[in-house]
Amino acid sequence: MAVSTPRINKRKNNNAIASFWQKNKHNILPPIIGILGFLIVWEVVAMLPGMRLPGPSSLWTDERTRNLLLYPFYDRGGLDKGLFWQTMASLGRVAQGYSLAAIVGISIGILVGLNPLIDKALDPIFQFLRMVAPLAWVPIALVALQKNQPAAIFVIFITSVWPILINTTEGVKQIPQDYLNVKRVLKLSNKKFFFKILFPSALPYIFTGLRIGIGLSWLAIIAAEIVMSGIVGIGFFIWDAYQQNYISEIILAVIYIGAVGLILDRSIAYIQKLIAPQS
Amino acid sequence: MSVFVAVDQIDKVFPLTGGGEYIALKGIDLQIKKGEFVSLIGHSGCGKSTLLNMIAGLDLPTDGIVTLEGQKIKEPGPDRMVIFQNYSLLPWLSVRQNIALAVDEVMGNSSKSERKSVVEEHINLVGLSHAKDKLPGQLSGGMKQRVAIARALAIRPKLLLLDEPFGALDALTRGNLQEQLMQICEQYRITSVMVTHDVDEAVLLSDRIVMLTNGPSSKIGGILEVDIPRPRKRMEVVNHPSYYSLRSEIIYFLNQQKRIKKVRAKKIAVVARHGLEKVNLDLGFVPLTACAPVAVAQEKGFFTKHGLDEVSLVRETSWRGIVDGIEGGYLDAAQMPAGMPTWLTTGGNQNRPLPTVTALTMTRNGNGITLAQKFYEQGVITAAQYKQKLLALDGEKHTLGMVHPSSMHNILLRYWLAAGGIDPDRDVELKTIPPAQMVADLKANTIDGYCVGEPWNLRAAMEGHGFTVATDMEIWQGHPGKVLGVREDWANRYPNTHVALVKALLEAGRYCADTKNHQEIREILASRNYLATKEEYIQLGEPSNYSCNLNEHVEYAHHMFFGDGLNRPSRTEHLWMMTQMARWGHIPFPRNWVEILERVCRVGTFSTASRELELGDLKYRRSPIQLFDGVAFDAEDPIGYLNHLGIERNFTIAEVHLNSPTSVAA
Repeated sequence: MAVSTPRINKRKNNNAIASFWQKNKHNILPPIIGILGFLIVWEVVAMLPGMRLPGPSSLWTDERTRNLLLYPFYDRGGLDKGLFWQTMASLGRVAQGYSLAAIVGISIGILVGLNPLIDKALDPIFQFLRMVAPLAWVPIALVALQKNQPAAIFVIFITSVWPILINTTEGVKQIPQDYLNVKRVLKLSNKKFFFKILFPSALPYIFTGLRIGIGLSWLAIIAAEIVMSGIVGIGFFIWDAYQQNYISEIILAVIYIGAVGLILDRSIAYIQKLIAPQS
Repeated sequence: MSVFVAVDQIDKVFPLTGGGEYIALKGIDLQIKKGEFVSLIGHSGCGKSTLLNMIAGLDLPTDGIVTLEGQKIKEPGPDRMVIFQNYSLLPWLSVRQNIALAVDEVMGNSSKSERKSVVEEHINLVGLSHAKDKLPGQLSGGMKQRVAIARALAIRPKLLLLDEPFGALDALTRGNLQEQLMQICEQYRITSVMVTHDVDEAVLLSDRIVMLTNGPSSKIGGILEVDIPRPRKRMEVVNHPSYYSLRSEIIYFLNQQKRIKKVRAKKIAVVARHGLEKVNLDLGFVPLTACAPVAVAQEKGFFTKHGLDEVSLVRETSWRGIVDGIEGGYLDAAQMPAGMPTWLTTGGNQNRPLPTVTALTMTRNGNGITLAQKFYEQGVITAAQYKQKLLALDGEKHTLGMVHPSSMHNILLRYWLAAGGIDPDRDVELKTIPPAQMVADLKANTIDGYCVGEPWNLRAAMEGHGFTVATDMEIWQGHPGKVLGVREDWANRYPNTHVALVKALLEAGRYCADTKNHQEIREILASRNYLATKEEYIQLGEPSNYSCNLNEHVEYAHHMFFGDGLNRPSRTEHLWMMTQMARWGHIPFPRNWVEILERVCRVGTFSTASRELELGDLKYRRSPIQLFDGVAFDAEDPIGYLNHLGIERNFTIAEVHLNSPTSVAA
């Protein structure tokens, strides 16, 4: 008996994995096949005569990219840094610009949402400014702020503030009449109304805005860095690689950008789940 | 007790987005006493929730004021706590926190522990102590509503306002919560106003039920007092005698509102054709053997023959439906009990004089008085014997059925009873019952008997539930039965149509009177569109031709449809009916009776119709009105006649003011 117990456990374990596989293979297999297929097609297309775009295998075969891939943390000073540091520099700018956008967007959003008059006055301006592409803000930011770093942060801010602001406004406007009636019938104080009704009720909308905002800010930083030459950041890294015709480096950086964007979006979603589980 | 909440001449107008405005409520007046439970019922969009919101202060009236204990309501407040249909719990707060939010805000002066105990007490009151830390999302609909009730009660409101509180719940949960709410309200003497769609809920919970008419400009269409004693139990109230009459009253009201809405939506276009002002007519009738001329005119094409191409017959189950249809304007014309035109004209219907005219007496006779079979077995075959029986059975309530205060049935039944020495209001109770329901009530033993048109006497006799104790022959041979009635303004607006209608029905009457056609007419009447009954219950010919195994007393009433002096409206007869209705207090006896009779009886229209049909030989019968008891009626001195009658109420004599008749614009 004592001998056979671990064997049973092991078999159980095996069974568990097997049954997990059985249950989830429909969810796991298709994306793997899809990604592999995509890579193979890409590789084949890259081998066509006259095609200058390297295939995915070049990430490993090309020595420069292999080094970048293997040593993301190297730092030789100046602009010559590993991809980790390049990404972190970009993320740092995003963090600053985005935080500013979140604070400003939520507070102004609540103000505007509560006050139909202000809403009417400012809505056209918001709708107008929202339509301006991030890149168009770059020259204005550079002219106004003179330096690359604050200009980049401003571009992040101005890009991501609109979805946050507009969604917050909407969230406040969409507070169900029932909850407002509760406030009116009970004559709740403003403080209680804010914390017990307004904020929890608008929270799902605010988070929607935050999620759209984080995606936009990440898009914007890459674009902004490409234009603002001579700074550490993954956007400028791409531009630099292009100038020097290191095509596979661009591909590697793009993969980094996609991965980071995905992680950012998921983190906000995770925070939302923690804070506002019922929405 | 004094007025607690007063709604005083409230109007509510909403501006519309496209400019213009929508009048939701108009002239709402309502007083609510302390401790009373009032329900507001009506169709969707009738403004009942708006009214509730104005009592709550969530909405303000455009005109008029609402007061609570004499204080004008200007804004919402916790003394008028609302229980909303969708509970309005905050989903991010637990049951306890939701209630505490209200309690902390309203009872801010009490100590923390006091407030806590209030919250706990009310959670226990609604039986939710096991779920107090759950979020609303984790509760069922019934539990959520209990939380909402607990939250409302916890802050001790002066007035509890409920907006369809149980609308979204399943039947079982609803029932339980209704009882709980009732108990709590009784225990704490809470004054409540509830908006509901549910007729049974309204009857179960309310002291008074306020019925609102459809918008725009909704107003109070009627207020019912619910006289079922408290405490009430959901399963027991249905056994209370008032329950079903209240219920059917509300349902009738709601159906009526629906029909008026439909008519409004239809925007009745007047179709003029063939030189007639209007050929699309809605003609009301009640399924009885006496509706034969109406049915025949439709089925045999007499309406079409006289140019009325688009007549649709509207079957009403009761005479009240006819009254409302004529008053509401969605019936152009109707078959009416003979007394109805004068009754409407003199304000018999809720003291609202509605000038109504008749130009044709469609049928005579056709009525009978039926008593339950048990009386026959006990040898009761006259009114006097019935009286003996009533005296012997002292203390019991005896109910007799009739179809409408203004119908010949009521008048004849009362006359028959009174002549037999029975006071029709004191010794027995007369109840208005739709004709088709009479036999069922007799069978159920809830009434002793009834007076109604055929086929309901014959049917009771043939089914063995009752026997015909008196027919027209025994009371007043040849009395007017049904007449054609239209509103006076209608008759003035469409004079040619009116003549055509009289012609069609007069010809149909002639067709009905011909014994050759009787079998065909019986088939028509028995069909689903009309009486939906068996053919053998419908008899048209001479009573002597008909034999039945229940010997002598099973004669059926003999209908007369056409003939000399039969169809022309008779002022003398209408005057007699007027005296009888005044005798029993249904109407005041009009001091201007001559004027009223002139207006009600459109002899001219009848004459034109009969001349155009070349029936010039149709004579006017001049035999005096004399009933079975031999008391003569002097048409020159109706008041003297009234004074001379034995049993009667204290009738009043009053001037009935009518609008001057509208004349047709040239």
